[in-house]
Amino acid sequence: MSTPPTLTINVEFGGGLELLFANQRKYQLSIPVLIPPDTTATPPSGSAPPPILSKPADITFLIRYLKENHLKERPELFVEGETVRPGILVLVNDTDWELEGEGDYALKEGDEIVFISTLHGG
Amino acid sequence: MSESCGNPNFESEALMSRRPKYDKTKICVRCKLAMGSVVIRHVVYCKPCFGPMVATKFRRTLEPHINVTPDAGPRRKALKAPGSLLLGFSGGLGSVVLLDLVNRSYFPPSNSTGDASSEQTKSGNGIGLRDEKAERRGGKDHPRNLRVWDKGSVCYVEICGAFPGMRDRTEEMRDLVNSNFPQLEFISARLEDAFDDAWWNAVGGKLVDGAFRVDVSSEELHLSAMSGEATPADRLQKYISLLPTQTAIPSAIQDLTRLILLHTALYRNASHLLLGTSLTSLSVSLISSISQGGGFNVREEAQEEWIPPDSRSRPSQIPIRIIRPLRDVGLKECAMWAWWNGLHIPGREKHPGGKQGVGALTYNFITGLERDFPSTVSAIARTCAKLEPKQVSESHCILCQRPAQPGIQDWKERISIRSFIDSSIIPPPHVSRDGIFAKEKSDSGDLPSPGLTPLLCYACHTTLTSRSPRGTARNADMASPLPSWVNSRLSDSIATTRKMGEGAMRDSIRDFLLEEDP
Repeated sequence: MSTPPTLTINVEFGGGLELLFANQRKYQLSIPVLIPPDTTATPPSGSAPPPILSKPADITFLIRYLKENHLKERPELFVEGETVRPGILVLVNDTDWELEGEGDYALKEGDEIVFISTLHGG
Repeated sequence: MSESCGNPNFESEALMSRRPKYDKTKICVRCKLAMGSVVIRHVVYCKPCFGPMVATKFRRTLEPHINVTPDAGPRRKALKAPGSLLLGFSGGLGSVVLLDLVNRSYFPPSNSTGDASSEQTKSGNGIGLRDEKAERRGGKDHPRNLRVWDKGSVCYVEICGAFPGMRDRTEEMRDLVNSNFPQLEFISARLEDAFDDAWWNAVGGKLVDGAFRVDVSSEELHLSAMSGEATPADRLQKYISLLPTQTAIPSAIQDLTRLILLHTALYRNASHLLLGTSLTSLSVSLISSISQGGGFNVREEAQEEWIPPDSRSRPSQIPIRIIRPLRDVGLKECAMWAWWNGLHIPGREKHPGGKQGVGALTYNFITGLERDFPSTVSAIARTCAKLEPKQVSESHCILCQRPAQPGIQDWKERISIRSFIDSSIIPPPHVSRDGIFAKEKSDSGDLPSPGLTPLLCYACHTTLTSRSPRGTARNADMASPLPSWVNSRLSDSIATTRKMGEGAMRDSIRDFLLEEDP
């Protein structure tokens, strides 16, 4: 029995955040199941030796993945350090990510991750 | 991971493990059965319990202030407002959530006989209010079930006239309100209406002959008669362009918007003006207002009653209550409500140059604080709610029409440099030596030109006169137009306080003078 190399997740943006992602609200992404334990490492390039994959992909990885692959403009409006900017809510399968361990939540096949911006004011 | 006082690069124990954002378990604190879906200030709620929780907070804030006599304790009487309802709408998250809550709670579709919960079930996916059907006992004609406000309106103030090139979104907002909240009437206004005599006349303001302009290069804010024709948009742009700092621009826009809403509410016989200020936005505006000199009006920042200056002597005038029903509901709760109910948030248009203002910096600080320390934001609002000024003011600022602290100019004179005529004092970059001597000379004259300063509150005076430490670009023409309500009151004020010359004084008492002996 072999572990699938990627898992498929659905990502959705709300509250105006989609404007940073080519005005596309929904994405279906295939991301690696396992990632290098060093969360700051970037995906492997051609000549570098393959890293040891030992950590399940989590939301922190997803945020970095979105920033590097799909974010079109003004990254400072989406990320701050290794997490999302204050004022952006994250839902994991319709549940607040604060109940799921925030960035440490290990992604699973078919997960629905929603990013909602509250930066529209009152 | 959070950092303690130690250096995490060398001391492994300097890093503390992150605490979970919820207090005990993931079970909903309300029903104690379902798994939680959202964490609000360390408290866990499931999705079905979240909606009634938000609606309860909304009603608990609003309903004690609906009847003419505010409820001191638990409400026993039916709700009936003495006038109509006006909602301020900006297109932002709080505004849309406020419209949705007001629409569901007080303006349900007529075919549903006031049953707000039936509207909820139509979407099938939304989160509901509390069980309205159970509360609406006694039939549809029972006094308890009559509408609280006979009529509700939504007023959107478009600010694009202040900044050339900015997008006009009035029609977008009109479509949103008409399609989603058909029970509420949409009213559009524009920021330049504040400088438009036609609008001022339409909302029942007193038109005066000639307008005033104010010299914003002087602390006294000398007044002079307005000359030449200019469109309201030109006047607005001139007013904005002569504000001395980036911080002053959003403050001025907020004040103009507030007064446009209030005069619209007055004209439409509204007894209540509701604003969609969330707990987070309220904390931002409280801190921002205090830092800009608005500490005397910290209570009004949360809630106020406004009586137009012309009718303050009339006891029959019902004050307009400005209420922020979402002041206990944080931005996160608003966002979750909007998301789970599928509300479209058009968002507020960002105007140029606001990023470095005190308001924007405070907003960034508070939202960051809310993420890491969620309860601190409500602590700001609760602490500010306990503050009140030592003295009650009878006078009101001519510009923002909020209470003005008496004797503020005397206090300012004692604590600040008022004259640069002493050569040992280096004036700031925006003040020229020639200007100083010319001003000092004119000040020493017999007839001082009238100034706006004594009629302003500290915050408005600061907005018009505070200087950037880097200096302010000086225009050739530093005379700024004034909003219509200021012109209207100035014409009364100056007519009654203008200093008379000796000849005019002698003429007025000529009949009572005794003839001198030859």
